[in-house]
Amino acid sequence: MREIRLVNITKKFNDELILDKLNLTIPSGEFFALLGPSGSGKTTLLRLIAGFEHVDGGSIFLGKKNITQVPINERKVNTVFQNYALFPHFNVFDNVAYALKVRNVPKDIIEQSVIQILQKVHLEKQIYKSITQLSGGQQQRVALARAVINKPDVLLLDEPLAALDLKLREKMLVELIELQDALETTFVYVTHDQFEALTVADRMAIMNQNGQIEQVGTPEEIYEFPRTSFVAKFVGSTNIFRGTLKIEEKESYLKIDDLGMFKVLLPKHKAWVCDDCTVLMSLRPEKIEISKKKLEGFSNCLEGIVESIVYHGRSTQYHVRLKNDFLVKVFEQNEEHFPQEEIDYDDKVFMYWQKENVVLLEK
Amino acid sequence: MKNSRLKKEFIKERQFFLASPAILWQILFLYIPLLFLIGISFFRSFEYFSIKHVTLDNYKVLLTLSYAKIIGRSFLLAFFNAIFCFILSYPVAYFLALRVRRFKHILLFFLALPFWTNFIVQVYAWFFILDYHGLLNSFFLKMGIISQPLHILNTPIAIYIVMLFCYLPFMVMPIYTSLSKLDTFTLEASFDLGATPWQTFSNITFPLSLSGVQTGFFLVFIPSFGEFVIPTLLGGGKLMFIGSMISYFFLETRSVFLGAAFTCLSGLFLIASALFILWLFKKLFR
Amino acid sequence: MEIRSRFSRYLLPLFVTLIYLMVYAPILVLILFSFNKNPLSYEWHGFTFHWYRDLFKSVEVFDALKNSIIISFSSVFLTISMGLLYVFYGATTLLNRYIVFFYGSLIMPEIVLAVILLSLFSFFSVPLGITTIIVGHTLIGLGYVVPMIRARYEEIDYRLIEASLDLGATQNQTFFKIVIPLLYPAIISSALLVFIVSFDDFLISFFCSGAATLTLPMYIFSVIRSGATPEVNALSTILLVVSSLVIFILTFLKSEDSGILR
Repeated sequence: MREIRLVNITKKFNDELILDKLNLTIPSGEFFALLGPSGSGKTTLLRLIAGFEHVDGGSIFLGKKNITQVPINERKVNTVFQNYALFPHFNVFDNVAYALKVRNVPKDIIEQSVIQILQKVHLEKQIYKSITQLSGGQQQRVALARAVINKPDVLLLDEPLAALDLKLREKMLVELIELQDALETTFVYVTHDQFEALTVADRMAIMNQNGQIEQVGTPEEIYEFPRTSFVAKFVGSTNIFRGTLKIEEKESYLKIDDLGMFKVLLPKHKAWVCDDCTVLMSLRPEKIEISKKKLEGFSNCLEGIVESIVYHGRSTQYHVRLKNDFLVKVFEQNEEHFPQEEIDYDDKVFMYWQKENVVLLEK
Repeated sequence: MKNSRLKKEFIKERQFFLASPAILWQILFLYIPLLFLIGISFFRSFEYFSIKHVTLDNYKVLLTLSYAKIIGRSFLLAFFNAIFCFILSYPVAYFLALRVRRFKHILLFFLALPFWTNFIVQVYAWFFILDYHGLLNSFFLKMGIISQPLHILNTPIAIYIVMLFCYLPFMVMPIYTSLSKLDTFTLEASFDLGATPWQTFSNITFPLSLSGVQTGFFLVFIPSFGEFVIPTLLGGGKLMFIGSMISYFFLETRSVFLGAAFTCLSGLFLIASALFILWLFKKLFR
Repeated sequence: MEIRSRFSRYLLPLFVTLIYLMVYAPILVLILFSFNKNPLSYEWHGFTFHWYRDLFKSVEVFDALKNSIIISFSSVFLTISMGLLYVFYGATTLLNRYIVFFYGSLIMPEIVLAVILLSLFSFFSVPLGITTIIVGHTLIGLGYVVPMIRARYEEIDYRLIEASLDLGATQNQTFFKIVIPLLYPAIISSALLVFIVSFDDFLISFFCSGAATLTLPMYIFSVIRSGATPEVNALSTILLVVSSLVIFILTFLKSEDSGILR
């Protein structure tokens, strides 16, 4: 009943096509993230769902109801704005009570509801403060409370944590997850920050700069099984290799020029998987084992020279130069206080990985 | 502020004198004469300009019904002018701030233009419209709304009409400024939370524009109170307002002392009215 | 985008257009009739420049114009120079506090300013004339100039002043070589403003001019009072055009300055 269906959504701004026949279904009651780079149209999509913009083509469904022509104030969709858009002349109470006040809900019920919701966001002590006296994090929670008090079907959040510092952001993410759990409202969370998206989302959609949806799935699916190189590169970091497939009876290989043959696992049911076809291989840096010694038990191996080492505390990032001049990124978790092996600049190293841990991509 | 602190170290005290002409000018030609005016209102002539001859005679002469009528008339003119200006200005300011995108600057320019143009020229321009043989009457006659031309010039109606249109920009500008500072996202938020356009206007837009409305009100009220040109040119000489009365005292009868007293009295009344209006605003809107 | 009620979608633009028309109708009619062969009748008798030519022959007009120009330019000169001095050399916090002194002339109704000046001049038996008018106009002008230049001054990066001093310039050199050039937009804007305020001013001129001196607005006033002559239409039109030009330049400058020029 609170599922959002976007059907063939088209949107233009001054003759520029932002969204072109976009289709997306956001399941009911989920925390859904919309992730993409700046300019990908994700905010536009959000505003279309809220009703602030009109679609140039297509329809929007909320549950069974077609809400495409329904005006903003009649949609059971509420928004948390990026700059909060709190009413400056109202205090916290009046801001939060607004949605109920404009529907002429009786005063005592309003008071009850406001206190309740402010308790949920831990602001009950600031109830009569002017909003200019609040910190950024507090203002953000007022915006949240204001938007959920009348129990909307869908809550849209437009990069709500962008203005907060890192520690506060991490804390708020957890609070948001708890809030969504408690309310069971569908949350649609727009962000360009993959960390946020991966943290909060039950499912997420990745959009590219052309306003198209690259992939929809759970954070795990997106991260471990990206379907395009855009997704592989945008979410987390990766090494992309191009090569030719060599399919044999017992084993399949990717032939990469100048580097050799590497064992791969073929994805099932893909039209672009064929012998002699050119495909891409995505190998994430953390899936690589780096060592100066020869190790057994790995499907694949590459040789190279260490070009840079960056120490990140809990992990170390290496950049290794291959003989075809390609630069490979490797993450090593610093599991040991006194590492058994010291890898240094200009060292010759071997990089090992299992064939199960790569993803083959068409483009 | 950082700026001022560094500039302070940089400017030495002896430069104080270089900076002072402007302040001295104000003091010499504004504040001292003001006190002077208040002072001479208690005297009858320059010959007897000493403490012994301080008198309230001037004020006694003025505290009569005819003078009260003049002051009252001026107050009503200023007050209602401000109200009429508000009624016409708010929609214009709203339209310019929230509805126009492309031609905003051009429209603002044309609105600001009469602001800086001589009132006299504007009043004269209205003669053509309001005259017995003027355009308004011709239009009404042609349309058959009236059978005989109306006498509009030299009546209070003419004064109110011309005051209204001359002071319109004074009210539009401040309201426009405060409306343009509005965060449009708050308006979107209001709709998002379920408010109708009217609810959004009365709960959010209008309250947030109140400071502009107040500024505009005073920008119109205070000058209108002492307006001289418009009532003089359009009043036909029969109706006296504060402006014309002051001119009468100082220029026609040269009774500087009586004039000073009248000016002070009017000034007091102006301050009282201004405070009254401030109180009114607080009562109605806070 | 928000929701627009039917009222604001159709009635509002209509209403606003009506208001603009009503504000401009008289002025446009005035301009139109200044070209009328018989401007004192409300019928169109034919197009002519006659009245404009007549203006040039009129000695009184020229006198009034001369006076207005002298007064305006003098007021501009005085306000700008005193204003600049105050802003730069008065930047110590002591004088900063006194900026409220300049708001007085803006708050009071102009007629009060006019009479207090008149009283002052009468008491000290100062002969009324161009000088006394200039005094009054400068008074009002300062109320515009000082806040405007000050605002612009506060925006100057103080590091530029520091750099100048660091490289060996004296305070005065810094003032003339660095500060003033940086203030040009504000100086020009406020100069134009004072000019137009002074040129169009009536009340102070009327009260402080004495018997002999006439400024252009005063001339128009007296002519209207005693019975309009055809040249007045032409004169008013010219005045309108001059004001419009100045305001246009001002707006152009302001929009350039704040970068919103299209």
